[in-house]
This record gives sequence, C-alpha cells and structure tokens, in this order.
Amino acid sequence: MSPRAQAWLVPAAVLAAFLGIWEFAADQGWLRPIQFPPPSRLAGSFVDLATRGFPQGITLWTHAGITVARILAGHILAVALAIPLGILIGSYPLLDRATSPLVAFCRSIATLSLLPLALVWFGTGEASKIFLIGYGCFWVMLSATIGAVKLVDPVLIRAARTMDTPQAEIFRRVILPAAAPRLMSGARVALGVGFMVIVGAEMIGTIRGLGSLIMEARTFYRTDITMVGMLCIGAFGLAITTAMAKLEAWLIPWQARVEGQQK
Amino acid sequence: MIRDESFFARHAGWFGVAFFLALWEAAARLGWRDPSIMPAPSQAILAAIAHLPPGELVEHVAWSLWRIFAGFGIGAGAAIALGIAAGWYRPVALVARPFVEILRPIPPLAWIPIAIVWFGLGEPSKIFVIVIGVFFPVFTATARGMASIPPVILRAARTMDVDGVRLLIKVAIPAAMPDIATGLRIGFGLGFGVLVAAELIAAERGMGHLVMEARQLGQLGVSIFGIFLIGIVNLIADRQLARLIGRTIGRWHAL
Repeated sequence: MSPRAQAWLVPAAVLAAFLGIWEFAADQGWLRPIQFPPPSRLAGSFVDLATRGFPQGITLWTHAGITVARILAGHILAVALAIPLGILIGSYPLLDRATSPLVAFCRSIATLSLLPLALVWFGTGEASKIFLIGYGCFWVMLSATIGAVKLVDPVLIRAARTMDTPQAEIFRRVILPAAAPRLMSGARVALGVGFMVIVGAEMIGTIRGLGSLIMEARTFYRTDITMVGMLCIGAFGLAITTAMAKLEAWLIPWQARVEGQQK
Repeated sequence: MIRDESFFARHAGWFGVAFFLALWEAAARLGWRDPSIMPAPSQAILAAIAHLPPGELVEHVAWSLWRIFAGFGIGAGAAIALGIAAGWYRPVALVARPFVEILRPIPPLAWIPIAIVWFGLGEPSKIFVIVIGVFFPVFTATARGMASIPPVILRAARTMDVDGVRLLIKVAIPAAMPDIATGLRIGFGLGFGVLVAAELIAAERGMGHLVMEARQLGQLGVSIFGIFLIGIVNLIADRQLARLIGRTIGRWHAL
C-alpha cells in the first residue's frame, strides 16, 4: 500500500471502527442514549435539524446565518477601528510605549467576563453580542497591527522620504502594503477569537444562533442535536477560516513572496 | 539611547494607564453620572469593598485557580504525551489524526452543553471544558515541534549509538521543547478564557460567577472590579508560567 493511500485509508478505517464500536455499545445498552446517542441516530438528527429545525422552525441554516452575521458585524467593526489606531500607535514609539501596558491588560481580560456589562449597556439583543465579538477581535487586531507596523522595514520608509513622499502617502503606499500580510493574519486570528466568543455569548439569553442551539438541545435532553450541532459548528468554523485564507491570497498576492523571503 | 530619555518617556506605560483611568473617572462622574450603568474606577473599588468581604473574594479566586490548574495540568499533560507519541510512532499518529482533525475546529465553549450531559453540573464538567481548551493548542504545537526536529540531529545521535526510547527522551523531546513551550502559553491563555466562560454560564463559585452574580444583584461596580481582577490574575499567571518555562526549557534554548 502506498503511503498516500495509507494516509487516507487508515484514518477512515479508524473512524469506521470507532463508530462501529459506539453503535454496538449503544445497541447493547452499555451506553445511556441520553449521554451517547448511537451514531446511526445522529444522521437522522442532522436531516431533521437541516429541514425541520430545532427549536421547531429554526433550521440549522438559520442558526448558522445568524451566528455568522453576528461574527462578521463584530469582526468588521473591530478591524475597521483597530487598523487606523494600530497604525497610529505603531508609528510613534512613545505612543506605543505609553499604551502597551493598557493593550496587554485589555487583551488579558477574558472577553466573556464583559458579558454582564454588555447586558447592562446594550440589553439582551444583537448589540451586546456584537459588542463582545468586537471586543475580542479588537485587541487581537490592534496588537497585530501595532506589531505589523513596527516590523515594516525602515529602509522602505526612509527610501520613500528621500523621494519627498508626503507622510499620508507613506502610510497609504508604503506602510500599509508592507504591513498587509501581517494584518491579514491578525484578522484571521481575530476571526477565530470571534468564533470562540460567539458560541459562549449565545448560550445566554437567546434561542437563535449555533451556541444557543446546542445549549437549548441539552435543556430538552436532545443530546443527538447537541452533538450534531457541535460538529456543524466545527465545520462552519473550518469553512470560515478557509474562506478567509482564500480571500487573503486574492487580496494580497504579494504575501506569498514575503513569506518566501522569511523562510 | 534609553539613558538619555526623559522621566516621562521612561515611565510612559504608567502615564498611559493613569491617563486612561483619569479619563474614565471623569467621563463616568461628569458624563454618565449613573454608577448603575457606568461606575467610575473609584466607585467600582468602593462597591467591591462594601459588598465583597475579603474571605469571599479569596474563595472565588481560589476556586478559579484550582480549576485552571487542574484543567491545565490534565490537558497539557495529555496533549504533550499524545503529541510526542504521535510524533514518534507513526501508528499512533494515524489513529489520533482523524479524531484531532474532526474535533479541533470545535470551539472549546461549544463543549459546555455536552460536558454537562456527561459529567453533570459539578466540578468535573468545568475542568473537562478547560482540558479541551488547553489540549488542542498544546497538542498541535507538540506535534509540530516533533515534526520539525532537524533530521541531522537524530542521525548524529544514531551514529553515536543512541537509539530507541533513549533517542526520544535524550534528543527528540528536548529538540521539540521550544514549540511545546509556545503551545503551553497559548493553551494557558485559551484555558483561562474558557474557565471564565464556564463559570459565567454554569457555576456557583469562581471569578466568572462573581462578575455575573454582581450584575444580577445590580452591583455593576463589583462586576467591573471582578473583570479587572480576572485580567490581573490572568496577567500574573501568564508571567509566572513564562518564567517557569524560561527557567526549565530556556536552559537549553534561548527563549
């Protein structure tokens, strides 16, 4: 067997064996169905979730759409604020030093601990969730932007200065493109943070969204829905990060060159 | 260069923090004027002194610390052991990989409902979720560290008749250590976030619970105090972990 085939066949066989043992154990009554519903039921649950929905009428796609819309709103807001501010802080060393303890501290505050504040300030609706995602994304993005600006090759900036380039032009034509690859990877990390935060934020005070889907299902003893929901969250997360990587390659084709140089 | 700088430049960080606190204090007292919506920092501290006996405060912090240490210890230990095994023995990698690939994209907080189903509402379910949060970053980093050991090192050791388990323990694992160290820091940070969320959603003790309960009692100042407490504890714990790593792993590597 070629190593390539082996790399696919063995994991597939392992998974099949795992599911088989699980099914058998559930069938024999060794596993409580409330804790470990048999895998054969999960497929049915998925179809159920995708067509009829849980709670009744809210399908998987509605939940996912709501969650993704929340993430994107918070993420875009955070990135739009963090990039200009980060460029400003990163360009002036004194400003950087004055703000760095504050930035480090705000980053180390667990985002979800702000949930009580968000509820008081923005109520239980959309705004409080977008605020939480935005907070989590913002500090990651701000640190990434400051770091990216500081790492721009000073020779590029000096070269632009010798050609009498105005400061605004240096920001736009030199610093921004040179920092772009690191900005993009920061945006990708921030998106991951947003995804983490939303699942937790949705578990409190809402019935729409992927996080609330799995929590509600637990409340109604539908462990099968919880499990299917978890797998779907993972799949959606993977899809979002993959899409982001594609977007990155399309937006800044010169990144491959930069990474090549680093290696 | 730093020697010539002014007093202000040298202590810029402190000035930044002080400026921020002053701005907040002024905004809260002159702008909002309603401590139940936007308490000033001074009001938050006073509220904490008034409503939070020191004994209770210590208890909340102690519960959180115990959970994070237990979860981090189990998660990191399991991840390093499995990561090393998967990096060294190909069959282990082939068996472990499908599970890791399927479960890794699931955010740790999404495990909270299933943890409650499996372990009930007590301590094990919270520790389990932290374990999940810590496990994947540490495992990924360990596997990467094992995969990126320069083959030259291993071949050199083999020519000196170091082989088998001795090669693994004496050569391969130390070579993978810097990656493992990075994974531990990331895993700890993630585990801490998960801890707070788990305490917020389902707990009756701990710092996350403190923040949530204070809000329900209408003591927003205490909530803000708790949020700052979480940040400070996280920073201190992270620094201590970094120092510990620096002292143990840094002996071999310039970390």
